Amino acid sequence: MFMKSSRKPLGLVAVAASLALMATACAESDRGDGGGEEQPFVFAAAGDIASLDPFLASDGETFRYSRQVFETLLEHESGGSEIVGGLAETWDQSEDGTRWTFNLHDNVKFHDGDDLNADAVCANFDRWFNLTGAYQSSNNSYYWQKIFGGFAENDEDHAPPEPRFVSCDAEDELTVTIEVSEYSSLYPGGFSLAAFGIMSPTSLEAMEGQEITGEEGNPTLPEYTQVPGTVAGTGPFTVEEWNQDQGEITMERFEDYWGDPAGFETMILRAIPDENARRQALEAGDIHGYDLVAPADVAPLQEAGFEVPTRDVFNLLYLAYQQDHEALADLEVREALSHAVNRQRIVDTILPEGGEVASQFHPDTLDGWSPDVREIEYDPELAAEMLAEAGHEDLEIEFCYPTEVTRPYMPAPKDIFDVITEDLQEAGVTVEAKSYEWAEYINQTDSGNCPLYLLGWTGDYNDAYNFIGTWFSTPNSAWGLDDEELFDKMEEVSTNPDQEERTAGYQELNEMVMDVLPGLPISSSPPSIAFSGDINPPNVSPLTQENFAEASWK
Amino acid sequence: MLRFIVRRLLQLIPTLGGLSILLFVWLQRLPGGPEYALLPDDATAEQRAALRRSLGLDEPLAVQYLTFLRRIVQGDLGTSLQTSRPVLDEFFLRFPATFELAVTAMLIAVTLGLPLGYLAARKRGTVLDFAAVGGSLLGICTPVFFLAFILKVVFAENLGLFPSAFRLSPGLSRTDITGFVVLDGLMTREWDVVTDALAHLVLPGLALASIPLAVITRMTRASVLEVMGEDYVRTANAKGLHRTTVRTRHVLRNALLPVVTAVGLLAGSLFAGAVLTESVFAFPGIGSFVYAATQTRDYPVLTGFILLIATMYVFINLLVDISYSLLDPRVRAQ
Repeated sequence: MFMKSSRKPLGLVAVAASLALMATACAESDRGDGGGEEQPFVFAAAGDIASLDPFLASDGETFRYSRQVFETLLEHESGGSEIVGGLAETWDQSEDGTRWTFNLHDNVKFHDGDDLNADAVCANFDRWFNLTGAYQSSNNSYYWQKIFGGFAENDEDHAPPEPRFVSCDAEDELTVTIEVSEYSSLYPGGFSLAAFGIMSPTSLEAMEGQEITGEEGNPTLPEYTQVPGTVAGTGPFTVEEWNQDQGEITMERFEDYWGDPAGFETMILRAIPDENARRQALEAGDIHGYDLVAPADVAPLQEAGFEVPTRDVFNLLYLAYQQDHEALADLEVREALSHAVNRQRIVDTILPEGGEVASQFHPDTLDGWSPDVREIEYDPELAAEMLAEAGHEDLEIEFCYPTEVTRPYMPAPKDIFDVITEDLQEAGVTVEAKSYEWAEYINQTDSGNCPLYLLGWTGDYNDAYNFIGTWFSTPNSAWGLDDEELFDKMEEVSTNPDQEERTAGYQELNEMVMDVLPGLPISSSPPSIAFSGDINPPNVSPLTQENFAEASWK
Repeated sequence: MLRFIVRRLLQLIPTLGGLSILLFVWLQRLPGGPEYALLPDDATAEQRAALRRSLGLDEPLAVQYLTFLRRIVQGDLGTSLQTSRPVLDEFFLRFPATFELAVTAMLIAVTLGLPLGYLAARKRGTVLDFAAVGGSLLGICTPVFFLAFILKVVFAENLGLFPSAFRLSPGLSRTDITGFVVLDGLMTREWDVVTDALAHLVLPGLALASIPLAVITRMTRASVLEVMGEDYVRTANAKGLHRTTVRTRHVLRNALLPVVTAVGLLAGSLFAGAVLTESVFAFPGIGSFVYAATQTRDYPVLTGFILLIATMYVFINLLVDISYSLLDPRVRAQ
């Protein structure tokens, strides 16, 4: 009886083994065929997208997809950080900086056949401004709230800020004027954010009435954000399929695109969260490119024949000094610690090629960077002397760093932490290491519980406020900084609508910040991106905003 | 037998109730919260607080738990904070991938482990025995991520025999009927889908099978050795039964009892083991989704998925008990 019943499984095993062998042969024959117009271009992202509607998102992977499908009024130059026209051919601002006029390109078609015109643009802005209910949660309208504030009718439960958006008017067929309540340095950069990709009027009509459902704390996104077919943009690719079970989004070339047509007929974004798995998938020929290459992998990949173009830097890593900590409230101690850190060693040994020591709190690719900030030289002996003079020769301090995470500006947090710790110890400082997972790390640093910590930022658009304004415009517990003079100056500069004056003001601010020394700017590093050898890569963007329509098979 | 099954199913209620309370307490004690993982780094304290409030996370734990229980009774496991899709939908979207991977791993482990363990016992003290024991020890000791790395370097990168990632090749079109790719491919005769899916299962399947294979080999060996020394085997041999009959009816059948139990328990643990394997192979199943949920503090997904996996675990154990009773009449009698 036992033997009889065991024959079936054995038979099944034999069948499975045969199929596996067949699969092997088949898989082998499918791989390494090289590029070809019919073959899809497969790019590995670090995660799946969150929604087909980028307005609801705040994550880079959703924006990577949406930049191929939707276009914004303004954008950044290909491969650079300068703001240039997108759907708008030209634009202008009123003297007080509250009215922004955009002249749209003619003959631009949406994927569903609609024409781009001023009414279509305003229909988008009006929809966003009039959203209600759970759409007003900071998780579902993060960038709207950041750039344009609240909504026509703010929902108390979600407590959005006061609205800055006033109106959008179609002056004529191709001229749009957007009015905001007050000038802010958030403009015009804010108009380039991927969250504000313009959708067709037909799409908007189909979305009408589709609400975020579910009771409080249990929201479910509407169908149009999950199933392709409703959303239509003007970008070089149309969205065809989103396999949520595979973490795969498929896009097809839009044949009626108003600009240069996409180099690939089909492009697939596929999620591979693990960094090593992305590299191995490229090496094995399963994908044709991936982002966020580990610095240590750049040289081996290049040697193996892969394309690893270098981006310009547009991020910043810093060491923060939380001034509620008694010793760190003393400028002399902050200066001493800054002299103790060998930033060049971090750049040379940990960061990818193209990384550079930062002299101030934003990268030199940004308007407002000042050549006149004071320099902080690496001098451990001076550091020890200054600590002794300040009465802190036996300084003991907690130093926090994040685990299980990499950021474009911080490719190896633990390694950077180790180098700085070693430097501080050489200056006589006793360091107590504290490590947290990312979510808790942000909680701890935001709450002011970490005297020393590593953090940074990758810019959203080309304006210095996007860096220094984020950190030094109001008192906050992350820095424990309370400097009225600095905050007032930041307010004055960031609300000046004159671009040249504002740039000069930011230069002054950078000099002020480095005098106050709330932290030590460490480095800017170019996050690397890799492609297989049969790909002509797109112009790589310092803002990690690649336009994959520029890429093609060799 | 029916009473036995009903009793075991009723035991599910206190088991899952206790587990859900433990989960709730544990999740609250996890450092950090979704408001830090879901919003960008430059979000203000006000924005984070507003998100926490809108997600209902500012309510007392007891209130949150009661809300959760109410939803469970209504068949609602909540919504993923990360994807805003129902947890149950997310589970069933990913369950087929993990199930296929677990079945592959178990097939590899059983088909290799049973004969290997049996032969090692039969050839005790020989090179084969040492190789089996040593190999299984190595299998238990080798971390899955290391084994996965080696498998990928050798079989994917260097030999190009198998894909290094995913469940299906990107862009491969298929007809989705059940969510089980291999099964759907067989039903629709999409042979390219079947072969592609099987090729994608080989390396993660081998990595995931390493520990069960080692355990099954060692347990089979030990169990066969023990049974071979029993009096009834000596008696069977003495009364002149055919050697094959003795080995199959008396030795194997009795030796397999503890192994079957172990297989059942290992099958359940495969779902836990899949977390790492799936992440390393970018295999889009339950494991990689749970791993992502821990990073984003996606409480509904963590709670819902763990409860569902626990339920599955109980069912697998039930199946093991039933099969146990089929193999051993004494269990039925009890």
